[in-house]
Amino acid sequence: MDNLHIAATSTSPEIDFQFDQNVLTFRGESYPENAAAFYAPVIERLRAYLAGCSDAAITVEVTLTYFNSSSTKMLFSVFDALDQAASSGNRVLVRWYRDAEDETILEFGEELQADFTAIDFTDCPVAT
Amino acid sequence: MNMFELLDQDAAFFELAQRRNLLFYHKGYFSHSIVAAMSEVVKLQLEVAGINAPTRRKLFSSFIELSQNIIHYSSDSLAEGGGSGGAIREGAVCITTDGERHLMLCVNPVATSAVGHLRERLEPLCNMSLEEIKQAYKVSLRSDTPEESKGAGLGFLTMARDASAPLEFAFYPRVDTPETTLFCLKTII
Repeated sequence: MDNLHIAATSTSPEIDFQFDQNVLTFRGESYPENAAAFYAPVIERLRAYLAGCSDAAITVEVTLTYFNSSSTKMLFSVFDALDQAASSGNRVLVRWYRDAEDETILEFGEELQADFTAIDFTDCPVAT
Repeated sequence: MNMFELLDQDAAFFELAQRRNLLFYHKGYFSHSIVAAMSEVVKLQLEVAGINAPTRRKLFSSFIELSQNIIHYSSDSLAEGGGSGGAIREGAVCITTDGERHLMLCVNPVATSAVGHLRERLEPLCNMSLEEIKQAYKVSLRSDTPEESKGAGLGFLTMARDASAPLEFAFYPRVDTPETTLFCLKTII
């Protein structure tokens, strides 16, 4: 499967899915015009890749400095897909980078951990 | 020509803006690209005003939710969106500072037929504690998106969570166009 790269814009994050390395990266700010339209094809490619994974060690690096309410909802779907893959024989390691002072992103990370327990989740506060 | 002659009666506008510690004001059209450009202005203004980073993030978050509400729901539209072009709709957003408190006010017309529904969604939020708001946010995050929502249905809860006081809202009927009503929403951060 071809890797997926979507360059960041001022309102949408960089998506860098290196499927051949099992490394998936989200980086930037997320408040696109239509979050569902932005994330739907990303989630589709992600699900297709995960369906072909077995006994894989997948690393997901998330460095999102801001996401609006509709992006938040879509990220929940991303993590749902990752959790399903982790429940079916893969190891999914998420590194959740955030500003050390950003409680909103910390709390959203806690919500993800509460619901998606198969994922090996690491909160990575970064001091500014 | 000195400054005062140049400004003439417009001076009152600038004086008022200064007295109210106006950080940002836009009345007019909102589209996705306009909001993206205004985001840069708002971020810079908040930083230059010396507001701490956590408060800046909350203000910016509320600014985006309010602005995107105008793009999606204002009843005054220049372009409806759909197809290749995005929506362009009219409204106003104002950010002022009052000591340690920051006020954000948003005004836009809505269909009068939508007033009841908006009221039903906002009224409960105004009476909830922060703990209850966070709980409602968690529930909404996991529930299916309401059909009429173009966003996630999470926008008002996101604003309520970031506010330091209950959200306030009001509806003003418009005599000239009774089928639309002015919707005002205020958040204090």
